[in-house]
Amino acid sequence: MEKKQRVARHGRLQRWIAAAAIGLMALVVGAPSAMAQGNEKVDGQTYVIGTDTTFAPFEFRQDGELTGIDMDILQQIADDQGFKVEVRSLGFSAALAALSSNQVDGVIAGMSITDERKEIYDFSEPYFESGVQMAVAKNKDDVKTYEDLKGKTVVAKTGSEGETYAKSIAKKYGFTVKSLDQSATMYESVKSGSAVAVFDDYPVLAYGIAQGNGLKTVTDKVPGGSYGFAVNKGENTALLAAFNDGLAELKANGEYQKILDKYLSDPSASTPDNFFDLVAKSFPALMSGLWHTLLVTAISFAIAMVLGLFFGFLKLSGNIVLRGIASTFVNIFRGTPLLLWAFMFYFGLPQLTGWEVSVWTAGVLTLSLNAGAYVAEIVRGGIQSVDPGQLEASRSLGLGYGKSMQKVVVPQAFKMMTPSLINQLIISLKDSSLLLAIGFGELLYQGQQIYAANFRVTETLLIVGVIYFIAIMALTKLANYADRRFNK
Amino acid sequence: MSAVTEQSSQMKIQVQDLHKSFGSNNVLKGIDLDIREGEVVCVIGPSGSGKSTLLRCLNKLEEITSGKVIVDGFDVTDPKVDINEVRRHVGMVFQHFNLFPHMTVAENIMLAPVELKKMDKAQARERALELLERVGLKDKANARPASLSGGQKQRVAIARALAMAPGIMLFDEATSALDPEMVGEVLQVIKELADSGMTMVLVTHEMGFAREVGDRVIFMADGVVCEQGEPEQLFGNPQQERTRDFLSKVL
Repeated sequence: MEKKQRVARHGRLQRWIAAAAIGLMALVVGAPSAMAQGNEKVDGQTYVIGTDTTFAPFEFRQDGELTGIDMDILQQIADDQGFKVEVRSLGFSAALAALSSNQVDGVIAGMSITDERKEIYDFSEPYFESGVQMAVAKNKDDVKTYEDLKGKTVVAKTGSEGETYAKSIAKKYGFTVKSLDQSATMYESVKSGSAVAVFDDYPVLAYGIAQGNGLKTVTDKVPGGSYGFAVNKGENTALLAAFNDGLAELKANGEYQKILDKYLSDPSASTPDNFFDLVAKSFPALMSGLWHTLLVTAISFAIAMVLGLFFGFLKLSGNIVLRGIASTFVNIFRGTPLLLWAFMFYFGLPQLTGWEVSVWTAGVLTLSLNAGAYVAEIVRGGIQSVDPGQLEASRSLGLGYGKSMQKVVVPQAFKMMTPSLINQLIISLKDSSLLLAIGFGELLYQGQQIYAANFRVTETLLIVGVIYFIAIMALTKLANYADRRFNK
Repeated sequence: MSAVTEQSSQMKIQVQDLHKSFGSNNVLKGIDLDIREGEVVCVIGPSGSGKSTLLRCLNKLEEITSGKVIVDGFDVTDPKVDINEVRRHVGMVFQHFNLFPHMTVAENIMLAPVELKKMDKAQARERALELLERVGLKDKANARPASLSGGQKQRVAIARALAMAPGIMLFDEATSALDPEMVGEVLQVIKELADSGMTMVLVTHEMGFAREVGDRVIFMADGVVCEQGEPEQLFGNPQQERTRDFLSKVL
């Protein structure tokens, strides 16, 4: 999901450098007409504006509040022009979909102005000029220019402008480009020395440095695409005009630069939060993540138990067809990676069937089918470990197969299965972290969201790790207690 | 249930030309056997001769390959006969006791009467205590099987087999897994049962006991009944070479 949005954003930027530059020049040179405070047409109106969920520094959550360059610019323009905005944080694609269906009046989401988009939207004057920049570890001085990269490895974000640019000059300067998925992990690998430099979008990089990610920029920005505010083509012309007027005003009175400085300048003076502030600030988000982790694990494991009992018994069936069905189920879900099914259910299933698959549905399906396959094997093993004499004794008393299983075999099997089931429950809980790949808001995902904004990767991961550890220890104690209590 | 002819009605068990094979291994090669009501039949013979298999065919713990087995008036080879119903008339005691370890002694005995809706829990418990008294273990009613000695376990297993008030009791080497000093207490219980007029089939290695309690002793070898007769006659004057050979080794 995230990836798609980013890629879309970086589409065909190069061709628009010229247009953007001209637009910006027109803005700076030719003084805009409506400089007066307030705008009659939009005065007092409330507009609904869609935006992305997280694209620091343009929009991201800080202490629960949506903030960022886009948000500040939008709010100040609204104040200047006398209209009100109601911001909806929908996610990039969803915001555009909402715009097309007129559920929102405009979208501001660090969106590049492209040819294709211009056919369906009207864009404001560019309010931000992006570009690619190279950064190295703050405390190292051996790389100052591209020439210094010879024989070394740099990192760039998969599918980004930075990657495209780095690859375009890699041969010339003789370095290797390694692609990673997230800004935060790229910065970590530069700090740890596994790569000497990172090529990333200038605003994202500048924001990271501003947050104290331990890097510094050493080259000039390579100009890239421009970002614009969008409305549906031919609609909301007054809003668009007001945006342009307000933007010009902000640039003229210096507020625009203040906003950029707020997010992008190197705040060497500012002291980062200490560790306990970080814990306190990230705690609500992490607790929500933990809750999602526990909930999705509990629901999935309950379903996995039902599946496991069903297929476990099928595996013990005398009927070769039933046994085959059970073996197929077990082999498929035990023999393929969990992550593959997460992607399959979330991205593949909707395309194959046309159904809408929520991230919850996909997550629960993935975890429960995977755990179900293992539980089936645990159930089969548990039942087979019960002395066959037990079943014979029960049958010889005149109890049927089902009754004998229920009263005699399964209770004993369950006792033997309990340690394995507890083990599987813990594995499932940990495996639920893989669901972050489809954007499920579990614990590790929340941790990622936090360090994507503050770049305190190691500390955030440490906190997340401790929470996992405590949760799993508590769960283990609880399960063992229940085991002792019920399996005397 | 199957109609049974007038002439055979005094017979508690009738076995006709019973064959049983496991794959290509023919374990029973045509057994014919009639057991009267109240008769105590001991089955002896070398290991691998098919004694236990024969016993297990009587309550269909083994699928019968061919032949006919009629137990207490039920044709157990008839697929239409509810085998669970038949088994309620036939108690079985195993070499390794097979007590249910997750239940108390009393619960072991109560399981069948309660689950098969013959009695409510209170009645079943009363019945269980009666049976435990009979095998001398009333004080162990609330104990777990794991806390009992081998001899005590087997006496509980006998009480459990009696819970449904069966007309027939099958004993599959009931004393073979016991320490020698515990054999006596179990044999004592079995003897009392025999004296009470119960129809019983015992597969046993206890020749002295077979001689003492058996109305008839059957010697099996290689999947057939080699020789049978009253204990005094079979032990005292065996007719077959195989029987003499076997007895000379075990007596």
